[in-house]
Amino acid sequence: MHSILKTSLAALVAAGVTASSVAADGHSLSGELNIISDMSNPAPRAVMEGMAADFDALHPELEVNLTIVDREAWKTQIRNALGANPPDVVNWYAANRMRPYVDAGLFADISDLWAEPAFDALASTKGAMTLDGAQWGVPYTYYQWGVYYRKDIFDQYGLSEPTNWEEEMANCQVLLDNGVKCYTIGTKFLWTAGGWFDYINSRTNGYDFHVSLASGEVEWTDPRVRETFANWRQLIDMGAFIDDHQTYSWQEALPFMVNGEAASYLMGNFAVAAMRDGGLTDEQLDFYQFPVINPDVDFAEDAPTDTFHIPSGAQNMDAAKEFLRFVTSADVQTEINSGSGLGQLPVNANASIDDDKFLAEGFDMLSNNAGGGIMQFFDRDFDAEMASVGMEGLQEFMVFPDNLDDILMRLEETRQRIYN
Amino acid sequence: MFPTPLAKTSRTWQISYQVLLPFALIVWLLPLIAVANFSIKPEADFVNGNYWGLPSSFEAFSNYGKVFFESNMPRYLINSLFITIPTVIGAVALSCMAGFALGVYKFKSNLPIFFIFIAGNFVPFQILMVPVRDLTVSMNLYDTKTGLVLFHIAFQTGFCTLFMRNFIRALPFPLIEAARVEGISEWRIFLFVVLPLMKPALAALAVLIFTFIWNDYFWAVVLTQGPDAQPVTAGITEFNSQFRAAYHLMSAGSIVAALPPVVMFFLMQKHFIAGLTLGAVK
Repeated sequence: MHSILKTSLAALVAAGVTASSVAADGHSLSGELNIISDMSNPAPRAVMEGMAADFDALHPELEVNLTIVDREAWKTQIRNALGANPPDVVNWYAANRMRPYVDAGLFADISDLWAEPAFDALASTKGAMTLDGAQWGVPYTYYQWGVYYRKDIFDQYGLSEPTNWEEEMANCQVLLDNGVKCYTIGTKFLWTAGGWFDYINSRTNGYDFHVSLASGEVEWTDPRVRETFANWRQLIDMGAFIDDHQTYSWQEALPFMVNGEAASYLMGNFAVAAMRDGGLTDEQLDFYQFPVINPDVDFAEDAPTDTFHIPSGAQNMDAAKEFLRFVTSADVQTEINSGSGLGQLPVNANASIDDDKFLAEGFDMLSNNAGGGIMQFFDRDFDAEMASVGMEGLQEFMVFPDNLDDILMRLEETRQRIYN
Repeated sequence: MFPTPLAKTSRTWQISYQVLLPFALIVWLLPLIAVANFSIKPEADFVNGNYWGLPSSFEAFSNYGKVFFESNMPRYLINSLFITIPTVIGAVALSCMAGFALGVYKFKSNLPIFFIFIAGNFVPFQILMVPVRDLTVSMNLYDTKTGLVLFHIAFQTGFCTLFMRNFIRALPFPLIEAARVEGISEWRIFLFVVLPLMKPALAALAVLIFTFIWNDYFWAVVLTQGPDAQPVTAGITEFNSQFRAAYHLMSAGSIVAALPPVVMFFLMQKHFIAGLTLGAVK
């Protein structure tokens, strides 16, 4: 894989079409480039090591030092690492997750990079990388969310992919009448309910409203939020979700779909690999974008994005920026997101993707049909504490929808405590 | 007080006992049976919801092969050895000497010191989590095997000293007096008179501490991270990938991790039980 990447890069550098040609023409980079990465799982680790080696090979004067930290551990270590003796490049996440480090002045403002023409190809996530009107990092991978469904079951009952809420509910009623649950879900670890809220809220009230709610500008008791829950409740009252979902993890909810007891799953694209392992073929499995609820608002999609940032204390700013140009270039993004690498979606719209129908549909959806904006998922968009209280509330709502007033009051109290 | 021996009970009770026993045994062992079963299942069984049934295909070789050849598991096992063995040696050596001093010499602060050792056993170790972590960080021992070993030795020595002191107390004191009359130095008395007599206690304690430390999860998670220093108990979580938990590999890994203490137990069964009851009856 490395050699392919190197060859393709060499070709591109020769053709002078990569963004890096700007610096390559001007002056060569020298000194050290220290990278701390959290890509610690086996496949991402190989990708990161490959990228660092290739970048090192491209810049003979530059010494690239890569440190890989356990992904979970990095979530607590990052603050230390950014404060004392900071590296030049670090991994992190988009949207509100950047907030603490932006507010503390630990991430460097890289709006000048985003102003370069090559970055127009990353427009889909520009909003997610923007805080306080400036950009603080670059994306290298993301994956789509959406409804994965059993096409064979849909065909059996003569159903087609719904495009609006009425069709969605009509499909669901047919399935329920035939003893099949519409959706499987496992809310034991709460976050899966966050996906449902993201979609119903953004389809009901739009991306901008969703973002305002996430940043604490709107009260949880607002009638628009209640409308979201009212829409959600229609499905709950129908019995659309599998029973006792609060006792399953997302993986433990898979058998319902694989065994045909439930027809669809609102989930991230990582679920596909698991479903294929469970024996579902690509003929049985298909994908559709979450349907329209309010025709006046544009599609907003959940696509959690992983990112690179430059600490404000970086020693080798030139090399760090050049590395960010490198990882966002179409060819590098194509290579690292391929099936042999991360197996996810490149953010660069000019990148190409593997021959996989779910990746193809997702890439098309996120690049062309997510005009509302890209959400980063409930627990990344909302403040961390708000998200944890919030997701508990969402789970409770799914099990006891009558408690809604109580839940909203509780979330509102939390919002006031956190954001004021 | 004591249950009536089974042979003396009525025939009906004997039969129902014999029927109930295997049943209770299976219920009791169910978690272990499940883990053993999981470890030979293919991943597909977990996606299909086939948790308790027979494996749809026999994957023991592939699962255990992955554990040994495609993960950091061997590394974690070696770490466990490098943490457990020095701890056993350190804790046992220190507690022999401390136990000898407390058991043989009469000095004013003997009892208070002994009580301090005992009191240490009553401290719930969880409350030490934050200070110990800070201590290891400031001593540059965080995320090192040395840090873990030093802490384990310090913490286990309390229990070991209690054990050793009581054992030495029970030895016939005239033996030591006789050696003193011969003019043998105290150090040599410890080495050549007392230590050989302590062999059963040493073996029992070593086996006990080995199991304690090998099975430690709490401190492994608090004081170390990553394959450079973490022991196998904490390393098993590596089979959780970013999105999915590989239950089949985790089960296989757990069984591999549990084997050394089990083997140790069967090899040293006699000493293990002696360790639990030593000093219980005068």
